[in-house]
Amino acid sequence: MKVTFNWLKEYVDFDWSPADLAERLTMLGLEVEGVEKVGGEFDGIVVAEVITREKHPNADKLSVCRVHDGTGERQIVCGADNFKPGDKVPLILPGKTLPAKPGEAPFTIKVGKIRGVESHGMMCSPKELGLAEDAQGLMILRPDARVGQPFAEYLGGAQSDVVYDLEITPNRPDLNSVIGIAREIAALTGNELKWPEVKLSETEPGAETWVRVRVEDGELCPRYNARVIRGVKIGPSPAWLAGALEKLGVRSINNVVDVTNYVMFEVGQPLHAFDYRLLSKSPGAACPTIVVRRAGAGERFMTLDGQERILAEGMLLIADETKAVALAGIMGGQNSEIQPDTTDVLIESACFKPQNIRATSKRLDLRTESSYRFERGSDIGICDWASRRAAQLILQTAGGSLAAGAVDACAAPIRPRQVTLRHAKVSELLGVELPPEAIENYLSRLELKIVGRKPRPVGAPAGPSEPVTFAIPTFRVDLKREVDLIEEVARLYGVDRIPATPPRGAIGANAYDAVHDELAEARRILTGLGLFEAQGQTLISASAAALVAAGSAVSLGKPLSSDMDTLRPSLLPGLLDALQHNISYKTYDVALFELGRVFQTQPASGPGAAPEIREMRRAAIALTGRRQPLFWSGEDREAKFDIFDLKGLVEEFCEQFGLRGLSYVRRAEPTALFLESAVIQLGRLQIGELGQLQPMLARKYDLRDAVLLAELDLDQVLVRRITTRSFKPLPAYPAIRRDVAMVVPETTTHEAILQVVKQAKPAHLESVELFDVFRGGNVPAGQKSMAYAFTYRSGERSLTDAEANASHQRLVEQFKQRLGAVIRE
Amino acid sequence: MAAILDQIEPLKQAALAEFGAASDLTALEQARVSYLGSNGKFTALMKQLGSLPKEEKPAAGKVINSAKAELEAALARRREELELKAALPKEPTDFTLPGRRRVLGRLHPLTQVTEAIVRSFRKIGFVVADGPEVEDDYHCFDALNTPADHPARDTQDTFYLAAPAGAAPALLRTHTSSVQIRVMRKQPPPVRIIVPGRVYRRDNADATHNPTFQQVEGLYVDRQVTVGDLKGTVEFVFKELMGPDTRIRFRPHYFSYTEPSFEIDFSSALTRKMGKEWLEIAGCGMVHPQVFENVGYDPEVWTGWAFGFGIERIAMIRYGINDIRLFYQNDLRFLSQF
Repeated sequence: MKVTFNWLKEYVDFDWSPADLAERLTMLGLEVEGVEKVGGEFDGIVVAEVITREKHPNADKLSVCRVHDGTGERQIVCGADNFKPGDKVPLILPGKTLPAKPGEAPFTIKVGKIRGVESHGMMCSPKELGLAEDAQGLMILRPDARVGQPFAEYLGGAQSDVVYDLEITPNRPDLNSVIGIAREIAALTGNELKWPEVKLSETEPGAETWVRVRVEDGELCPRYNARVIRGVKIGPSPAWLAGALEKLGVRSINNVVDVTNYVMFEVGQPLHAFDYRLLSKSPGAACPTIVVRRAGAGERFMTLDGQERILAEGMLLIADETKAVALAGIMGGQNSEIQPDTTDVLIESACFKPQNIRATSKRLDLRTESSYRFERGSDIGICDWASRRAAQLILQTAGGSLAAGAVDACAAPIRPRQVTLRHAKVSELLGVELPPEAIENYLSRLELKIVGRKPRPVGAPAGPSEPVTFAIPTFRVDLKREVDLIEEVARLYGVDRIPATPPRGAIGANAYDAVHDELAEARRILTGLGLFEAQGQTLISASAAALVAAGSAVSLGKPLSSDMDTLRPSLLPGLLDALQHNISYKTYDVALFELGRVFQTQPASGPGAAPEIREMRRAAIALTGRRQPLFWSGEDREAKFDIFDLKGLVEEFCEQFGLRGLSYVRRAEPTALFLESAVIQLGRLQIGELGQLQPMLARKYDLRDAVLLAELDLDQVLVRRITTRSFKPLPAYPAIRRDVAMVVPETTTHEAILQVVKQAKPAHLESVELFDVFRGGNVPAGQKSMAYAFTYRSGERSLTDAEANASHQRLVEQFKQRLGAVIRE
Repeated sequence: MAAILDQIEPLKQAALAEFGAASDLTALEQARVSYLGSNGKFTALMKQLGSLPKEEKPAAGKVINSAKAELEAALARRREELELKAALPKEPTDFTLPGRRRVLGRLHPLTQVTEAIVRSFRKIGFVVADGPEVEDDYHCFDALNTPADHPARDTQDTFYLAAPAGAAPALLRTHTSSVQIRVMRKQPPPVRIIVPGRVYRRDNADATHNPTFQQVEGLYVDRQVTVGDLKGTVEFVFKELMGPDTRIRFRPHYFSYTEPSFEIDFSSALTRKMGKEWLEIAGCGMVHPQVFENVGYDPEVWTGWAFGFGIERIAMIRYGINDIRLFYQNDLRFLSQF
């Protein structure tokens, strides 16, 4: 909502500077998002008239114009196309500076060549002048604008003004008007709100002789007020009216339409003006009847923006006996709008059910200043005043004579809502003691009226602290219960004045608290292993999701784009994106991990049941490029990550995190994602996978080195991890080591060898370690040599060589028998 | 006798000179053998001792032994010197060369900021809570006093998930406030939690928006909780996070699930560096009695407050980051700065 300093001053006295006012409004809950000075800021901008407009010889979208600036003609190159010779436009002269936007450097205009043609200044759009957020094309001024006139003067006198852009929260529709904001200032200062005096001379017969009103749905339209003015003369608005609107970024149209807009900004009540002659009456009727009715399904209606709208049942229309004339509360119809030759005008000032206006506006994707106000809740009590005010201003600017009174259809008598307040609750909630008189004073300044006090219990001391019931003014649609009144007290008392009290009270408890620490611990281990933490997008493409979870990915209903239409079913696609990003910026050595949530559908539990969406926590690792940071010497320094780097990281992480007894089962076939991969199991439970990315995919992601990926089901890991530690006494007796190298077929796995050891249970065996795998040389093709170190130790005494040898020999025999191993001597 | 004694001193001097002149361990060993070896010159001299008359032996022996001890000490000294020399590399090491580095990974800046926030809340009795990111209208809106036709729903453009025709679609939570409802429905008051987590809005990615972003929500419900408590806690947490010079101010605002509601601005050296005295940082308010009624808490007995803020925003201010998209690109040049 935009409002100007000077306009506010017409309704309430205050002696703050423009900066003070911004601060006060902000602290009252009307956040000032922008402040612009009007006047001093338009230095060097004048009203100019376009004389000729020709196509630019070297550019299709530019034109070369001659314009008159009041002192002479000049040539301007312009990119807009919404103007024609004869139009008046704001022109900024060379050497002058456009109003700066907050945070931007001011822009100074210079004489220069644009595509080879000289341009001596610039014609401005409302956006360039800071008068509107976005605007297509030049600002076209009223035809009566005087060429050469300073633009600031054109906007409403040479007097400088300040335009505030306020953020109005959706609960306070009453603040979408100048009087609404002035009312807040009045409450804050204690000064009186100065309503404009509306005195009307009603010279025509009563309104009911000109129009009838039939509201068919009193719930959707609780009030409809119609007033008729005859014999107006449509024409341009006077400078004060057009200037007031233009300062708010609203284009002046004509005197009658401008008045309805002006009153809307003044008091917040959207109005609509119909051309009375275009309202048809039924045969034999003395006058037309305004019918407020629901649209039929599929009914078509041309709104005044020239668009044909297809309506649905439940949308509310304003109609006469033969046709619809307006989409209630949103936009008028083309068939009844004010024309240059309109003479008789019907002013509508109504109240509509917010939910209905909102639903219609959303469904038709049609938002207007009017729908914006109605869908938030308008003041049912202001309809007649707003209509009278509009009539006054129309008579003043367009002439004519007014029918007496109005036809005012009100479904039910207007009764203010009542809310009861207990004074003690105010202090209880705010943490500050306020006397009951002060509380009541604040609320009365906001025009809440005391309508009753609860009777005092017998014997209780007299005083104003019995619960007190307030009548809520109709414009405050947000005040519904006690706590809403307490907020009002806090605002006027000043939130800044409420003292901060040190934290106190209960200690929280929640089961997740410990999990949060476990996740932090996992991250700490992974960073210690040399991995950088990544955080990927939750939303990824369906094709990326299909790599890891064909069929079980969760899709968005209305995605923003196909890049982001699916919830990640795994962290791996996101890590691939991260690798691709890094490599595109020539960072080739990347080692990342991510801890995060993934989403998959679970098949429906029964027939007819919707599939369930599961959220799971995962930990994932991605490696590519060189294993070690750059170093300037050494044989292996260029070595690239391979699958055993990845497995080593997974093993170290799991051991540190307390996960023992994992096994790795190779998948027989490549998958959509992996060339070669293994499932990580804990017993029979699958808790993860690891492998190397398919080379075709690697190419698609522009990854040139091998890419190694692993992912663990973190929810399972958290359940299965064992964090208890118990001390084992340090060994008191020496160990004996025996090595064995054996040749086995390629198909014999390390795991198979360990199984033999496990089943043989050699006496005193403490540990076994693989220290070499060798192929070639004397080892026959299809076989490999594997060398293990066995450590034997007793907890009770020093083992003798003979004891160790005996135990070891039995084990070696098992290798020969069970695996067909040939022992290398 | 005099002949032997006279020979000792010159022989000793010759040996010392040769030891000193030995340029490596091999030369030193040769020198040792030639003097102190079994056929060495000094050994030979000692052997002559036996031929001396009995009464002269002790004095002569004393002189010879002291000379031998001196030679052996000199030998040991020289050997140490030469061993040290032999251990040194041929060329002196260039200590300005870069070392062989071990990589230590780093936590994502958003994780670091989240952890800092969690740490400061935990100091004052809060625990961390969590809830699902896929939500329903009830927990995300209705229970938070934001019914379907409420204008406030307009400002939160929501991602709905695809759903079979007729079924109510699930949604991605637009704020962590949905967890308030889940926690309060599950546990009786008092409640003192913070909830960090991802939230989603239908915004196209640009320098200040990403469809995914992260929030922290704080909720405190107890008897006699006041706006004063809320201010005290907010002040404590932001001083912890943004430095002791941080100032906080509350402005009245509107959220459907709190009443009264406030926006929080903060001011510190960081904001002044950005050219602003006050910077909006969070929203908060006293839990709306309707929300308490929705979860089955008696608003006459319990009061409480909630506040929430964006983690990216804190991180951007703290580190001077100007584009939110950097957080989700995982560029190592970015990640390695924090």
